[in-house]
Amino acid sequence: MTKTAGGVEAEGTVTECLRNATFKVELQNGHTVLAHISGKIRKNRIKILPYDRVLVELSPYDLTRGRIRYRYRA
Amino acid sequence: MNFVQPTPGTDNHPVVVTRVSPTQWHAVEDDLTVGRGVASRRPDGRLFVSVDAWHGAVFDRVADAMLTDLSTPLYTLVDETDHDSRSAWERAGFTTARREWGYLVPTDPRTTGLASVRPPSGVTVVAAGEAEEEPLRALDRVVRDEVEATVGWRTMPAEVLPRPAGTTVLDPSKHAVARHGHEYVGLVRVAPLTRQPRIGLIAVRADRQRRGIARALLAHALGSLHMSGTASAWAEVDESNAAATALFESSGARRAACTLELVRR
Repeated sequence: MTKTAGGVEAEGTVTECLRNATFKVELQNGHTVLAHISGKIRKNRIKILPYDRVLVELSPYDLTRGRIRYRYRA
Repeated sequence: MNFVQPTPGTDNHPVVVTRVSPTQWHAVEDDLTVGRGVASRRPDGRLFVSVDAWHGAVFDRVADAMLTDLSTPLYTLVDETDHDSRSAWERAGFTTARREWGYLVPTDPRTTGLASVRPPSGVTVVAAGEAEEEPLRALDRVVRDEVEATVGWRTMPAEVLPRPAGTTVLDPSKHAVARHGHEYVGLVRVAPLTRQPRIGLIAVRADRQRRGIARALLAHALGSLHMSGTASAWAEVDESNAAATALFESSGARRAACTLELVRR
């Protein structure tokens, strides 16, 4: 995990697409977080699918929740 | 700089919203960035905004700061099922301008029912990579002119933008076309994304529509994907585009997502 100006970021893999535009993401440390996508990803119509490798910013208030900030190229 | 009173849900610590660049706003609480706003202008001139925040109250503060700094109209996109984001934007005065469906399109002819579909008499389908560039460019110009003269690209998920004649960049490897005589009359563009190909555009000249050319192009594109081992493709259709909606839904496509374009005028 990386501490950035915006909070804690971690890489993970999308394991499930849920309703309400949220995703289950398994982090490299084995933890699973519930993440939604960033506005920038939505604005750019970047599609998130299971098995995608993503960069997640974790909520400073609840480390089980996060926001997908980047999708790595397959 | 915009100082904000203690924010509910953030331990009563003050949040400060700052415009850190012409297109970015940050909300900071105790040296921690708890919200971000970004504005970006599309090539068609429209200004799209987005806000990411961990609390609704912070979202409102960032949105307020952006709305104060930017002139309307402003646009944003939300997933229809993301009720929190949608209501946050509605609190900021945004209303729904249009809706588009994301379709999951099967490629197996047994599911699509397109196996027996053939182009109308006199029309042949030229496979992707085999189309000649000059007539393809001529068709592209005709299609652009027709769309710009009618509904306009703003209602099109394809977001194809007007360009000066002769400068259109076209990749024949992504376009299959319908040919009638020596003329190209329709095209389908498929972005060959590894994870899931995207059907970016199906277009038929206005004077050749309602003859089954689009269906033949879709059958060809999906058949090619099926032959290459791809099980499904993705397509986005504006809700108001009845012809495209009917084409996909009659081909076994199912609605898998819904995106709203919101506007504040």
